[in-house]
Order: sequence, then structure tokens, then C-alpha cells
Amino acid sequence: MIRSDIIRGHLESIILRLIIEKDRYGYEISKEISLRTNNRFQIKEATLYAVFQRLEKKELIASYIGDISHGGRRKYYTITTLGKAYLKETRKEWQETKEIIDLFMEGLE
Amino acid sequence: MSKIKDHVEDLFKSIPDSEEKQLIKQEILENLEEKVADLITQGKEEEDAINKAIVDLGDIGEIEKELGVKQPGHPEKKRKTKLLDLAFSVWGSALIIALFVFINFYYTPDVIWFVYPTFAVLWWPLAMYYRWLRLK
Repeated sequence: MIRSDIIRGHLESIILRLIIEKDRYGYEISKEISLRTNNRFQIKEATLYAVFQRLEKKELIASYIGDISHGGRRKYYTITTLGKAYLKETRKEWQETKEIIDLFMEGLE
Repeated sequence: MSKIKDHVEDLFKSIPDSEEKQLIKQEILENLEEKVADLITQGKEEEDAINKAIVDLGDIGEIEKELGVKQPGHPEKKRKTKLLDLAFSVWGSALIIALFVFINFYYTPDVIWFVYPTFAVLWWPLAMYYRWLRLK
């Protein structure tokens, strides 16, 4: 598995990206991350919930309790307007970062 | 399934109790149970599935950090302390001024001088008043 400390700094963006598509709940998000990366990156649940906390505190996401699903009620997350703006901003930032790192990593033997 | 519950309880033991903690615990537990159910349908033994779910959960330290930091300095409590400071300063300055007035009229009734120290003392409740106002 890939070293996770580089990805760690972008977890907020990854999660926001998944929530902007549609409202999702915790396990769904971790499953989706594994699925899309073909299991090359798996998020630890503890990390995931820590990021939820942080995002919610920054008012980038909001949560609500969804429909009843076998026995429990799932907590869904939805993105806020602020979250959308933030994601747009981090996307721009990432494009730039990528270009800069590429300048040094491309063309190596 | 009770093994998961025990494990989650155990992880959260060191975190001080709060409503937030209960909510997160509940959320994690539900999601873990779903994950275990998923793993079982993928053909894992229940025992294996539970173990994998627990390992994947990872270290609780991060959640702890998110939950734990903002304990001191409850705003409501802070305001009460400041109000108490204000009340104390009002009473204190009133007593000091009364003392000056008494000395003034008792010993030197011909010269009115108590006004000067009164002005000096009034800075105290004034400062406290605005400190309290700022927090409101």
C-alpha cells in the first residue's frame, strides 16, 4: 500500500469530493475510496471520523440522520456552500502543486 | 458482534464523556457492523471479518485530538467570572470612595478633596465593565 502521509494532507479534499457527488455516510465513503483506488489506498476509520469532525467544525460539511437501515439510523454527510468553495480552492492549489513537483519528478531515469 | 462493541468501548475509554463522544461512538459502531456484514457476504468467516474490521479501524488518537482539545474555557463560565469581577470592582470601589468621603468630611470638612481619589478609583470598575461588555 502507498505511503499514506502524503495522502493525509489531502484527505479533506478526497472526502469533500465524494460528498459533493451525493450525500454519503461513513462506511460508504471508506468503501468508495477503496473501490476507486482499487484498494491501493484504504482509509482507517479512525482517521475518517477525525476528518469528519474537523470538516464539520469548519462548517465545510453538515450531517443529518438518514432513514432507518437494519437496526440503526445512519448519519449522512452533506457538503455546504462553504465546503464547495473550499474544494474548488484546494483543487486549484493541487493543480499547481502537481505541476511544481512534476517539474522535478518527470524525465528521471 | 459484541466483540466489536467491546473493542470500541475500550478505545473510547480514555476520552472524557460528552454527547459528542457518544454520537461518534454510535456512528463508528454502526458503520463497523455494516462493514463486518459486508465482509461476511464476501465469504469471510465472522471471526476474520470482525478482526479485519478492528484492524482497519486504526488508532483512536486522532479522534481524541479532535474531541479533547476544547475542554477548558467554557464561554458561559467565562462570562460568569467576568460578571463576578465586575460586581467585585463595583463594591470595592464604592467602599474605597466611601472611606475617602468619610475621612474628608470628618477631618477636613473645609476642603473638598475626595473627588480626586474618586476619579482614580473609578477606573477600576470602568475597566471591568468594558471587559465584561466585550465578552457579551
